[in-house]
Amino acid sequence: MSIMSPIAPAPTRRLTVAQGDSIASGDHDIVFTTVLGSCVAVCLHDGRAGIGGMNHFLLAEPAPIANEDARLLNRYGVHSMELLINAMLKRGAMRQNLKARIYGGATMRQGLGEIGNNNIQFARRFLANESIAILGENVGGTSARRVEFRPAAGLSRCKTVSAEPIEQIVKILPPASGDVELF
Amino acid sequence: MSRRILTVDDSPSMRMLLRAALTEQGFTVFEAEDGVDALEKLEAATPDLVITDINMPRMDGFELIEALRTGDVQAGLPILVLTTEASDEKKARARSAGATGWIVKPFDREKLGAAIRRVLH
Repeated sequence: MSIMSPIAPAPTRRLTVAQGDSIASGDHDIVFTTVLGSCVAVCLHDGRAGIGGMNHFLLAEPAPIANEDARLLNRYGVHSMELLINAMLKRGAMRQNLKARIYGGATMRQGLGEIGNNNIQFARRFLANESIAILGENVGGTSARRVEFRPAAGLSRCKTVSAEPIEQIVKILPPASGDVELF
Repeated sequence: MSRRILTVDDSPSMRMLLRAALTEQGFTVFEAEDGVDALEKLEAATPDLVITDINMPRMDGFELIEALRTGDVQAGLPILVLTTEASDEKKARARSAGATGWIVKPFDREKLGAAIRRVLH
């Protein structure tokens, strides 16, 4: 006689979320993984729809613009978050059901200034603006992190690692970013 | 007199970025959070131009453009689409629905301002 385990089997497909990526899934067989230094990853989950998503970004300093409310909102960060939210909504998630966890934002070495902290502040500010609750954070410090996220179940795990990820400030752009076409 | 722009996007952060970029260039901005909200706002006030996202709850950007082009609003009201979508198929759909132009996010503040001025003059 076989006994069914009440615990869902561990995912077997590992997808690496690289810097600049924003991906979502409702597949119980998938786990997203990434390694973060100064970069930040935001994991979003809709528990009702069973859809989760993760992005991975590194932003430069906030833009020197006059509007104080918008200063912390780096447009490339907003773009990365919008790509993530859109990917989730296309799979059936609902914006009002989204919950978040934030990872990364370490100060890996002198010279990168406040970039890690700025990325954390951006993520918090964006999520507050969008009324998306933050369920947890593992951010800051001076060590790199490995994050695993099971998107369907919304389960995440974060470990400090000794390896230092290769990171560079990149603009998260679609192929024709900013292009204007008048019909 | 400053030209009035209605921005339609379900992201408060994106609306805030747009407001900052447009007011710094001398435009007056008012906002809607999706197509349904935009139609309600348009009953009270008519802008010189609409900038709309595509992916929104309740009524998306395509449906909003179609409603504006077939409804009782100012004929010829310019409508610019501002979206993360870059596919030719979606661009063609917006064009056939009556959009005036298509801009891919993340937007460039100067390019956006130049496009608006070109459409309005």
